[in-house]
Amino acid sequence: MSEFDSLLQGMNLILTPGHIGLMVVGVLLGILVGVLPGLGAPNGVALLLPLTFTMAPVSAIILLSCMYWGALFGGSITSILFNIPGEPSSVATTFDGYPMAREGRAAEALTAAFSSALIGALCGVLLLTFLSTRIAEFAMSFSSPEFFAVYLLAFCTFIGMSKNPPLKTVVAMMIGFAMAAVGMDTVSGNLRLTFDQPILMTGISFEVAVIGLFGIGEILCTVEEGLVFRGEHARITPMVILRTWARLPRYWLTIVRSTLVGCWMGITPGGPTAASFMSYSLARRFSKNRDNFGKGEVEGVIAPETADHAAGTSALLPMLTLGIPGSATAAVMLGGLMIWGLHPGPTLFVEQHDFVWGLIASMYLGNVVSLIVVLATVPLFASILRIPFSIIAPIIIMICAIGAYSVHNAFFDVVLMLGFGALGYLFKKLGYPIAPLVLAAVLGDKAEDAFRQSMLFSDGQLAIFWSNPLVGSLTSAALAILFWPLLSRGLRGLLGWRGRHPAKAKSAP
Amino acid sequence: MSHSTNSSKLVGTRWVELGLTLFTAAIGAVVMLGSVEQGIGWGDAGPEPGYFPFYIGLLLSVASLANSLLTLLRWQALSVAFVSRAAFAQVLSVFIPIALFVAAMPFTGIYLASALFIAWFMWRDRVRTKPYGKWMIGGVSLGAVTASYLIFALWFKVPLDAGPVGDWLAMAGSSLK
Repeated sequence: MSEFDSLLQGMNLILTPGHIGLMVVGVLLGILVGVLPGLGAPNGVALLLPLTFTMAPVSAIILLSCMYWGALFGGSITSILFNIPGEPSSVATTFDGYPMAREGRAAEALTAAFSSALIGALCGVLLLTFLSTRIAEFAMSFSSPEFFAVYLLAFCTFIGMSKNPPLKTVVAMMIGFAMAAVGMDTVSGNLRLTFDQPILMTGISFEVAVIGLFGIGEILCTVEEGLVFRGEHARITPMVILRTWARLPRYWLTIVRSTLVGCWMGITPGGPTAASFMSYSLARRFSKNRDNFGKGEVEGVIAPETADHAAGTSALLPMLTLGIPGSATAAVMLGGLMIWGLHPGPTLFVEQHDFVWGLIASMYLGNVVSLIVVLATVPLFASILRIPFSIIAPIIIMICAIGAYSVHNAFFDVVLMLGFGALGYLFKKLGYPIAPLVLAAVLGDKAEDAFRQSMLFSDGQLAIFWSNPLVGSLTSAALAILFWPLLSRGLRGLLGWRGRHPAKAKSAP
Repeated sequence: MSHSTNSSKLVGTRWVELGLTLFTAAIGAVVMLGSVEQGIGWGDAGPEPGYFPFYIGLLLSVASLANSLLTLLRWQALSVAFVSRAAFAQVLSVFIPIALFVAAMPFTGIYLASALFIAWFMWRDRVRTKPYGKWMIGGVSLGAVTASYLIFALWFKVPLDAGPVGDWLAMAGSSLK
């Protein structure tokens, strides 16, 4: 069956009033968590997860993925109007978005941000539509060593490419793996790392960790910075929208470049945050208006937003086809898939044809719905941010506590959430990344299974990871990326090449 | 080092940095210990349950210790304050109430604890130019709790522990009938 037929089938499945209603609800909730400090896409999705257990998987994934799109859009509202990135991935949008808002061009900046975001997202979905079946078919021939090599590649990319110190990334990741190991061992049925505490038998849920690390940790950081919301006002009129749209084609090159950067970073686990920063610095380097960057240049809004959304949507490609999420939010959604009883990976495309294509079709529609909803509701959500912190904060904390409780109906999880909150605060202050921890916590069991199976095949010989060209090149690529910072330094030393260094240092504020 | 600049400094970044690395190293040690209990070798059915986690714990400890070494190497550079006294007081003024809120939950149930928490948080902010009135505080806290009851317990059928208050309400409800 061709992709186009499958897509039409998916469209057929989701074009019901109920599903479109879910989309609007998901987008509104998403914008809300994107706008509120302390709630973001990863923990928004984690908070909603327990509520989806009674839903059909297609409806559940529509709700969660639309929440993701909404959160990505919501993050740009706060970046532009308040100079506060609601999401880490929209930090780069503040550089030019906020100056534009101060000049009274907030509506133009918002429209440009949302429209270019939609373009980026749609390109990401197109990529997903036409590549996913092929990758899934290719991955059907994978067995355990190949899967482990792919996991290894994902984890090594995090360590080698991250802006955080590599050893800190390793520590965060290993804590995630250790969390995943607590509880029942899937192979032998033994209870591991529980130390005879019945409370640990069910294991440590990644949802609780996400809610604590992102939610409570973020609130603590916000409090410490003594955040006051002083924002610019915006009213988006149809006239401004049309005028901005008329000017967008002028920036086609930036849009194309940012889309490519975004799709690449989304598929490899660079994630939306890295994509938006990289896209911004590339746009600045190649722009004619280079000097205007940072002072309110619309190109500086378009570039990070396009890349952010392209990365956000294409992060679902490796998640669906290989079972490896490209971002923290995708990791939480992957955990949801497993809870609903689906097996992410290549078999999903055969066994759950309707689910996959319903999701892909909903991504086209969901992003368009997001644009309409977000353009219509900017003033509403901007006014939510003007509610004093002393009302918003306790309500957010209550929602986090209820969310953590409802994972297993256990008070112990709320205590864990608090512990993770303190850890998240320290991690943020000391430059430890959180995303690898979440990724490892979600994927830990699967990675371990793949590793143990491979070891069984080979009788404990690590050489199995070089036993055929495919697995060999994956493993070698993983190791090359892992040691990339060292390798590139060595190469640069050999060639005496330092030209790019000052520019790079300037582009990472 | 001048003392005047350090007056508002609570603790140097290096101490926090070092403390966290030792903490993560300890977690690694615990993981290794737990894995050894399960067997980390090669059993009849291939790798034993502790095989994989053991190396996770090992990597965690080794990376943590390397981090502490890096901290020690950069000891002078990391002498900057981790957080100023005022900012840390702010953080504690939010963290301690959250901890109390969490501790109270099993005894009072989620709804009562949440309502009290929100009300207290708003009442505390009375130093602002326009303090919230009684009705405002009551309205917001009861409203938030009612909304969470409607959304979680009724709409999505996720039961939340209402604690003794819930039992009393249920008893009162049944005796009315």
